[in-house]
Amino acid sequence: MNYSIETENLSLWYGDFQALIDVNVKIPDGQITSLIGPSGCGKSTLLRCFNRVNERYGNVTTRGKIEVLGKNIYDSDVSLPELRKAVGMVFQRPNPLPISVYENILFGLRIHSSMGSLTRTECDQIVEEALTSVFLWDDLKDRLKVRATSLQLEQQQKLCIARLLPLKPKIILMDEPCSALDAKGTLAVEELMEALAGTYTFLIVTHNMAQARRVSKECIFMFLGKLIEHRETQALFQTPEHPKTADYVQMRYG
Amino acid sequence: MNSLMSRPNPKQKFALQSIALLTLGVVSLLVWNVLKKTYLSDVQVSSVARVSDPVPNLLGDIYFFLSISFLGVLLGITCAFYLEEWLPETNWVRCLIEGQVSILSGVPSLLYGLLVVTVFLPYSGAFQRTQGFPPAGDLNTASLQVSSFQGDTTLFYIAVLTFVLLVVPRVIKATQEALRSVPIPMRESAYALGANRWQVLTKHVVPLSLPRVIAGACRAMSCALAVSALFIGIYISGYTIQPGRMSGRFALFLGAALVLSIFSSFLSQRYPLASTRHT
Ligand SMILES: Nc1ncnc2c1ncn2[C@@H]1O[C@H](COP(=O)(O)OP(=O)(O)OP(=O)(O)O)[C@@H](O)[C@H]1O
Ligand SMILES: [Mg+2]
Repeated sequence: MNYSIETENLSLWYGDFQALIDVNVKIPDGQITSLIGPSGCGKSTLLRCFNRVNERYGNVTTRGKIEVLGKNIYDSDVSLPELRKAVGMVFQRPNPLPISVYENILFGLRIHSSMGSLTRTECDQIVEEALTSVFLWDDLKDRLKVRATSLQLEQQQKLCIARLLPLKPKIILMDEPCSALDAKGTLAVEELMEALAGTYTFLIVTHNMAQARRVSKECIFMFLGKLIEHRETQALFQTPEHPKTADYVQMRYG
Repeated sequence: MNSLMSRPNPKQKFALQSIALLTLGVVSLLVWNVLKKTYLSDVQVSSVARVSDPVPNLLGDIYFFLSISFLGVLLGITCAFYLEEWLPETNWVRCLIEGQVSILSGVPSLLYGLLVVTVFLPYSGAFQRTQGFPPAGDLNTASLQVSSFQGDTTLFYIAVLTFVLLVVPRVIKATQEALRSVPIPMRESAYALGANRWQVLTKHVVPLSLPRVIAGACRAMSCALAVSALFIGIYISGYTIQPGRMSGRFALFLGAALVLSIFSSFLSQRYPLASTRHT
């Protein structure tokens, strides 16, 4: 088994508050792994370590080792833009930029390539490919010029996934990607994830345990900054090893 | 820069605001002193005086106006960007400036006009020949000096300084508010796509906040113009307001102030706050 992400004794502090405590985790390639746990246990924090967006907060200290795609992301020769190209992120609230659908898809590419290096036909093709892979092409092909923020939430969230694809990421991190969507939207996004798994490695934070059971192959349970249990999803839900996991999956506290 | 960082603690905040208040207090005291000494005794002389409306010096006005725009708005916007985007919220320079700005920008613009008339003008030597207020005979030349900002370079720079004092805090405040109205998730999504700080700023934050920055700048300039219109009007009518008499420059400044303030309210309505900062 190959691993996309490996951490070794990863600890993280916000000021003097320790949000992650000696986390050791291995996320396998090409499948969906879910991350569950009560509110405030550090799920988002862990997720945000993997593309180093946590560092934007001035008071964060990280210790331990994080390897993404076999490379220690704190090595001095790691380029942040390249890391973030390889590790895409989808947020809780759909947050397309307030520009056209078309430009949203190209935004990432434009950041990473020099001005004018993309021809019109290339752009059209990239946009079509990206929208097709998230099942939006048929809906939006006549509305490429509309403001992305005027789409339905479900379409917005799919667009947020689509705009990662032109950068050819290997890993897609998702922080409660469905919590702003209705049941239909949730199912649509889950379907999309399942279709894309294999090509991409997904790590998804969710509060919805039914969702974790539906989509993920492996599941990680966290509690108060510690990784408590990491197993096959079905096993974790049916025969949890740790009493805290059992409490959480059965009594559903948090 | 981001709302999750700890804000300055209440004690620090209190200390900084006290400093700001103290500064303001000293200034007001100064104004009051000069006001008492120079003016209250002279009111009679001045109220008799009448001056004819000098031909508006259009070039001088434009020069003056451009200086304000350049100094005030540019300085304000740069300052706000630096404070908001580069300095952490706990930085003491930022705290100090923000404290000052929030107080200064709340001061009615009229007070700045009074500051010019009561402190800067008497101390600048503009009226040295005539000591305090010019007597009736001299008033013509004196008011010409005042109303034509080119007449006296010290006067010109003093006026610029005052307006910069008036304009800058307002511009800083408006710009900061505009920058804060760009939602954090919006910024984070750009960072997560690999954009660097500069790209997030230029491709993202600036376009999103620009209408509001411009609106704020216009509002600040409108204040400056209105206050100068008022004082020009007063000077020209010889310290008495005469109904039905408006100088060309008075009308020009007042008109520009009105247009700018209407334009600014239009902008703020057209582009409301992008959304709340928190998810
Ligand atoms: N920028 C920050 N500064 C200080 N403390 C933070 C910051 N971000 C998160 N924390 C704290 O770190 C802990 C973990 O936060 P995190 O957001 O990772 O939890 P979570 O598991 O994602 O919770 P939720 O399910 O509510 O999203 C919490 O106690 C939170 O208060
Ligand atoms: Mg979270």
